[in-house]
Amino acid sequence: MNELKIEDLSCKRGESKVLNNINLTIKSGETLVVKGRNGSGKTTLLRILSNFITSYQGKVSLNDLSILEDNLYNNKFNLIGQKNSLKDNLSIKKNLELWDIIFNETLDHAKLLEHDNLDRLINRDVGSLSDGQKKCISLYRLNYNKYEFWFLDEPFVYLDEVNTNSLIEKINRFNENMGIVILTSNINLPKKFHKEVNI
Amino acid sequence: MLNLIKRDLLLSFYSSANFFFTVSFFVLILILIPFAFGTQSDQLTNLFKGVVWIALALSIIITVDRIYNADYEDGNLDIIMQKNKTIEYLVISKYVTHWFIYCLPLLVILPILSFLFYLDYLETIQIFINLFIGSFGMVFIANFVSALTLGAKRTIFLKAIIMIPLFVPFIIFGSDAGSWPILLGLSMLSFVISIYVTAYGLRLYGE
Repeated sequence: MNELKIEDLSCKRGESKVLNNINLTIKSGETLVVKGRNGSGKTTLLRILSNFITSYQGKVSLNDLSILEDNLYNNKFNLIGQKNSLKDNLSIKKNLELWDIIFNETLDHAKLLEHDNLDRLINRDVGSLSDGQKKCISLYRLNYNKYEFWFLDEPFVYLDEVNTNSLIEKINRFNENMGIVILTSNINLPKKFHKEVNI
Repeated sequence: MLNLIKRDLLLSFYSSANFFFTVSFFVLILILIPFAFGTQSDQLTNLFKGVVWIALALSIIITVDRIYNADYEDGNLDIIMQKNKTIEYLVISKYVTHWFIYCLPLLVILPILSFLFYLDYLETIQIFINLFIGSFGMVFIANFVSALTLGAKRTIFLKAIIMIPLFVPFIIFGSDAGSWPILLGLSMLSFVISIYVTAYGLRLYGE
């Protein structure tokens, strides 16, 4: 059972304060939706949780151990940022092969893409895909298995209704397996998740 | 670290055009020498020893955007940095792949080029040793310039202006046959400074 706790978290970006005294607790099996206006600090919060931003006030801890001191923490989360992490000049297949090496896990791409109805595109260059298709491929990284947390930055942007529902289903399954999801979103989702916070 | 080396080598294999551009660029610069200075053997041999360093420096400068910027722009750098918590290992693996992909091919074709410029066997070996040692130092410099200018777009001229003065000691000592110990010292100094500054630049990006 994991418990991710954010206590009195404040953070400045340049001269402006983007996060001000945030207090949150999220437990295994829960999803937290972070909402807020543009520039309110949603992405900053995810980058703090992902240990990219380390200069902030307050404390972020996993099971009472600060994430800055937990050497294994970086192997526990899967961060899907707003950028797709895809090489436009390479085919989907080649991009996935490169991810396999970074994630140190070989997936059955044909089978998984078939499930997402993307298998027919496997040899197409990423540059020729629509933004929605690129987003779907970007979210394909959620198939890498070893993670206890998903941090998703605006995952529903560009997705159509079918793919939005498919992602919600994936999040539910991950929650059922006691995974924690923290996602940022500014759109009204068709499903209520466990927790929602406005920053 | 090994995963990242494997990934970068595979990526360069998939984007092999970049690799061929660099090698072609290097060869073309050297081929221009006889057009400008004639084909007298003594003159060509002397010119080659200096111009080969300028060609190497320019070839490294045109590759500098591919070290970190490409991964930064598409978002892969986030994944890579997350998987490699010790950033210094990440930096070392970038040194290895950058040298392997963009410098090793230039060293491999060097004997063929030196034959065209009337260099004898001994001179070719001396230039090869100097370039081998000096190219590492230049790669170390290119890495930290790339890391410090992360996110800045269309800054190849800025990078060139930063890098060229730092390459000057290599060019001065590189054309002298017996100066490999000095080049080794310069490369080691570049390594010590570069690994610290590159890691700092990448951490800064993360913030």
